[in-house]
Amino acid sequence: MKPRAFIGLIPFALALAAWAILPLVVDYPSYMLPPLPEVWVHLGEIVGDGSLAGHIVRSLGRLALGFMLGVGLAVPLGIAIALNRHVADTLKPLLTFLQSIAGIAWVPLAIIWFGIGIGSVVFVIANTIFFATLYNTIVGVQAIPQALHRAVRSLGGRGAGLATVLILPGALVQLIVGFRTAMAYGWRALVAGEMIAGTNGLGYMTIEAVQWYRTETVLLGMIAIGLIWLAMDRLVFVPVERATVQRWGIVQR
Amino acid sequence: MAGSLAAPAVPLRRRLERPAKGALGILLFLLAWQVSVPLVGLEPYFYPAPSDVAAAFADLVRKGILPVYVIDSLERYAVGVAIGTFAGIVLGVLIGLSATASRLLSPTINFLFAIVEVAWIPIFVIWWGYGYKTILIALTYVVFFPVLYNTLVGVRTVPQPLINAVRVLGGSRRQVLANVVLPAALPSIITGLRVGAGFAFRGLIFAEIVAAKTGLGYLIFEGAQTQQTARTIVGMISVGLLWLLIDRFYLKPVERATVERWGLVIEADQRT
Repeated sequence: MKPRAFIGLIPFALALAAWAILPLVVDYPSYMLPPLPEVWVHLGEIVGDGSLAGHIVRSLGRLALGFMLGVGLAVPLGIAIALNRHVADTLKPLLTFLQSIAGIAWVPLAIIWFGIGIGSVVFVIANTIFFATLYNTIVGVQAIPQALHRAVRSLGGRGAGLATVLILPGALVQLIVGFRTAMAYGWRALVAGEMIAGTNGLGYMTIEAVQWYRTETVLLGMIAIGLIWLAMDRLVFVPVERATVQRWGIVQR
Repeated sequence: MAGSLAAPAVPLRRRLERPAKGALGILLFLLAWQVSVPLVGLEPYFYPAPSDVAAAFADLVRKGILPVYVIDSLERYAVGVAIGTFAGIVLGVLIGLSATASRLLSPTINFLFAIVEVAWIPIFVIWWGYGYKTILIALTYVVFFPVLYNTLVGVRTVPQPLINAVRVLGGSRRQVLANVVLPAALPSIITGLRVGAGFAFRGLIFAEIVAAKTGLGYLIFEGAQTQQTARTIVGMISVGLLWLLIDRFYLKPVERATVERWGLVIEADQRT
């Protein structure tokens, strides 16, 4: 952390200072923007009684479950579809369409099918990640040059061998690039799903507080949502991309 | 003579083969859905048939509800995206031109970009209530940050030798901006446009679920609330079609007119 990096903290400091001074200068109801000390005290409360950690753990658990379900179903199915050109041609427009129905648009239907609670939320995340991954798997597998197919086959590659030697590595770059986008949509779907259909989790915590005008909870929920996404992006997606996509010389950004 | 007539017939068939297969896929899907309904034997509100959905569609069109909702959604989307994109590009270029400003503001921009628009909607509701204002601000927000972020990245990564070369040859700052910085940053700006447009579309649906009394998001939510699930599915299909239209008539032409023309093709798999 050189002085160069610290300069980026100045706007945060200014924003906090403005927040602290604003109530002294302008008169507004405190539910619009609760005073800074109040938010700080409230942060101490929800950290102290473990409720914030509980919401965070539940949200992340759902995201992980939805991700595993979506990817676990989409990758094998995607490979199976992509290996046959006729099947791929037949299903691609349908999949493009299903993918373009925003994940959030599934929430009300999910409530009918799974009721309020974890089932609906996981369904919506898995759904979002499933269609994005399926599409990327098909595109990735189809992008493998025909010559490589022939080479592996003529050397006796069949079945599982073909899949592990050629197809998975060949499609991997496309898949990993796709994961980041899929997770960005999945994260939105999670927060939105918890707000509409949740009984706990960060999204629920944030929207529930609106009803009671507990604005300090709303603000803390937002900040937590932002920080967790930044942490996931910087600590998981960026290193994974660097270790795979960029190393193999297929930088896309 | 016969040869010259037969010649174009082959490519035409080839060209029609893929769309025909795609149409077949959709048809088979609808058929399987319709056939599965009596087999599953669930309540129509739980598992409506495609024929129910078609009836709900006809009903919504006849009553004039669907056209109004589509126009409301599109209008909110267009206004929000226009404001957010314009502000994002202008501010991104201005900030990007100064190294100090970039360093000063980048962490703030990253942080605000990370607070997804969905998370802003509760506080917007507290500040501005349920309605048009909240939706519009949320949409503008969600477009603004990806565009700003990518514009900034694009402007900051313009190779300095290019700028120096034009300066040495007597180019003014304005010429550098118009002929070097903007074209070089364009692929990145377009990426921001695409990401922003995709997030904004999802943000729109969510905002309409939470804070509107019209629009496709409201149709989807209201249908489910009143157990008119066929209406919900009409809404979902409209949402999918609308996104494909936005992709076809807004994003693709913009990409073609700018990036592809200058031979800087970016990958299209970031679609959604």
